[in-house]
Amino acid sequence: MRIDGGCHCGFIAYEGEADPETAAICHCTDCQKLSGSAFRTVVPVQDSDFRMTGGKPTIYVKTGDSGNKRQQAFCPQCGSPIFSAAPGDGPKVYMIRVGTIRQRDQFAPKVQVWARSKQHWTNDLAAMRSVEKQP
Amino acid sequence: MRIDGSCHCGYITFEGEADPEKAGICHCTDCQTSTGSAFRTNVPVPGNAFRMLSGEPAIYVKTTAESGNPRAQAFCPKCGTPIYSTTPGDGPKPSYMVRVGTLRQREQFVPKKQNWFRSAQPWLAALADIPKNAKQG
Repeated sequence: MRIDGGCHCGFIAYEGEADPETAAICHCTDCQKLSGSAFRTVVPVQDSDFRMTGGKPTIYVKTGDSGNKRQQAFCPQCGSPIFSAAPGDGPKVYMIRVGTIRQRDQFAPKVQVWARSKQHWTNDLAAMRSVEKQP
Repeated sequence: MRIDGSCHCGYITFEGEADPEKAGICHCTDCQTSTGSAFRTNVPVPGNAFRMLSGEPAIYVKTTAESGNPRAQAFCPKCGTPIYSTTPGDGPKPSYMVRVGTLRQREQFVPKKQNWFRSAQPWLAALADIPKNAKQG
């Protein structure tokens, strides 16, 4: 389906095509650190189906468990993480951060990866106390 | 308990004191966009119990809160890791909302409550049912 999205401040914007059946959660420790949260939600988009329409993201290159290098793109003004991708030129797949997609509600994840480092309490969210807004 | 943490690249490091009983989740739409994920995990650290040890975070002041209150969001300018949010402006801060994912002691900070649940992603209630791989697919 068609997607569009961007960072929180509006500097970065993009549009593309993504398949909700390929949405995933990553529980790896890099994602926990880089998001500051419990896990990341991502969906892959082929480069031929992805277009940046606003400003240029800052790129940080991390090295994964495999030894492979990975670009992490984020907005230099507000810090929102936008995508990750393999470094260099050539065809590539962008892993878009689902939280930045305007249609995020249609991208329920279908698989969880790196579950070995999952925060165990993420299984018990239905039982955790909640308030509709702020206390 | 004592905490210490950092961004992913190591430019920003900090230490402090935080109470694991105060750890929480925020499901607001600002947090979903700014983390790129489903929600944020936070713990408040009193202003006088927080110390930056290295690096200068970039600060983004967001103004989209329903209350109208502006909020300063600190992140690493080199790797993008979000570190904390606090009241904007100079001077001592009453408190910092530190992002639990950045803490070395993150396993001890199990959230106890969820805010802005009205915008929570519905699939979170059945996370245990989503197929999982120990490592990559």
